[in-house]
Amino acid sequence: MHPWRPGLGRSVLLALPMALLTALLFFRGPAAADPFQGAARALVFAFFNAMFFLMLHTGKTDRWRAAGFIVYAVLFAVSFISRHIESRGTVVLTEAVWFKGGFPFCHILIPMTLLPAALKGLIIFPSTILGSPAAVASILLVWIGVSLTLGRGWCGWGCFFGGLDDGFSRILDRPVIKDLGARWTDLPLAILLMAVLSSAAMLLPTYCMWACPFRVMAELDPPTTLGNVAQDAVFVMIFLAFIVVLPLLLKRRAQCAMLCPFGAFQSGANWISPFEVRIDAGTCTKCRLCIQGCPTLALTDEALARGHSSATCLKCGKCVDLCPQGAARFHIKGTAPDASPELARLLFLYPAAFLLAAMANGFAQDGLARLLRLAATGRMW
Amino acid sequence: MSRGREVLGYVGAALALPVVLAVFLGREPLSRALAGTAGLRISPLFTGGDVATIRDHGSYRTIVHRPVFLGLLRQSRRGFVQVDWEPTTGLPWIISEEVSGLDGGQAGFRIRLDTRSGQAVLGPGAEAGQGLESVRPRDGGWTVRVWLRR
Repeated sequence: MHPWRPGLGRSVLLALPMALLTALLFFRGPAAADPFQGAARALVFAFFNAMFFLMLHTGKTDRWRAAGFIVYAVLFAVSFISRHIESRGTVVLTEAVWFKGGFPFCHILIPMTLLPAALKGLIIFPSTILGSPAAVASILLVWIGVSLTLGRGWCGWGCFFGGLDDGFSRILDRPVIKDLGARWTDLPLAILLMAVLSSAAMLLPTYCMWACPFRVMAELDPPTTLGNVAQDAVFVMIFLAFIVVLPLLLKRRAQCAMLCPFGAFQSGANWISPFEVRIDAGTCTKCRLCIQGCPTLALTDEALARGHSSATCLKCGKCVDLCPQGAARFHIKGTAPDASPELARLLFLYPAAFLLAAMANGFAQDGLARLLRLAATGRMW
Repeated sequence: MSRGREVLGYVGAALALPVVLAVFLGREPLSRALAGTAGLRISPLFTGGDVATIRDHGSYRTIVHRPVFLGLLRQSRRGFVQVDWEPTTGLPWIISEEVSGLDGGQAGFRIRLDTRSGQAVLGPGAEAGQGLESVRPRDGGWTVRVWLRR
């Protein structure tokens, strides 16, 4: 069974609702006074809608998702780093800045935050509860909505860091390291357990303080003591290892598959989501292309025998794109295994692609506006 | 495949888009409701805790926070109290101030802060268990935390 490829007219009709919904999000409020911001808004809107149209028209999911996801992550990094340098004048994070508060809340903190929040109402991070899209309540709300609907699809469509290792994992044609045991997917579970317990005991975001590779993005400790220098070296090494080198060598999303505690936690949400990826045993020829291509080791021989991906599935659609027989399909739980995979894919694609566009909305616009300004004036802000 | 599960599956799948739309398009009111329902607040380890008293000294003021004894299941035995002085422009070179009447009945202390160098010392009458936790500049002033013991 080959992917359904609607004609041009039907693809346009199917893409139209997404254009209208994303326009509601992108263009509500006053028009941007800054011409670079205005141009960036229009370009980002057009880009993400073009990616959605291509998903529909070509029948390929991951190819266009990855393009959008990687662009989103790169522009997020540009926006995040340059904003910090603009406001602080430095790439380091001093204690005074840390305690000043008002930090954007990050979804990776969620599993470490839940226990203190549930028992004491405490958020163990120097952010704000309300007042911005990056405030605690706002991120928690989006996380709840996405977990209920897309499960770990968050990591494939919404995470602002995921596009970095996704991007590096696509640079080489073939993996240098081919056989990586699926047992590596247990490592993030161990990290999750340690992070949750230590955060609860100390009421501090321990993973964020000691091990998060994304601290290299303008949140390094000031190199004033030997301890800080060592800590920064750890952040840099973890970043290089899990975001750059391992994704390159494995052609997989190493940070998401082998390190991220949020990813491990979010795998549980796949039990709630109505969507899953199924492998039709009758059509599957055991060519193993999906196993080799799965970015998070969610497909193994056992998973193929069970007929569906394991809990670490990001619902990125790579296996669906790769399968020459069309045996890997999006599926709605509870429905017959051979129930219309195209309907399941469409019902999944709308919320997933909207999530990607909505998450990218502010960050990608700001990042692109800064790059446009840099090209035109030589200054980023 | 039971008919009920099938219907439930399709309903869940069809609701996915409205749910994702709702959390983004209704972000402000829904996040306010979530924060209110869950009673969320930023940990006093970062905010310093609720403000207990504000003393006006004319050109500057002293903000004394409530003592914080944070623990996940019960209050910890060791905590801190935060004292802020602001604004920077009105601060004398040397501040020497008695901090007493702390909520919870902990003994007070005298603190001396050099606002040029950021050096602080506790007065000679400090109780056992009291000590300087941190001295740091902040936007528009200085913040000192003093260890306390229950």
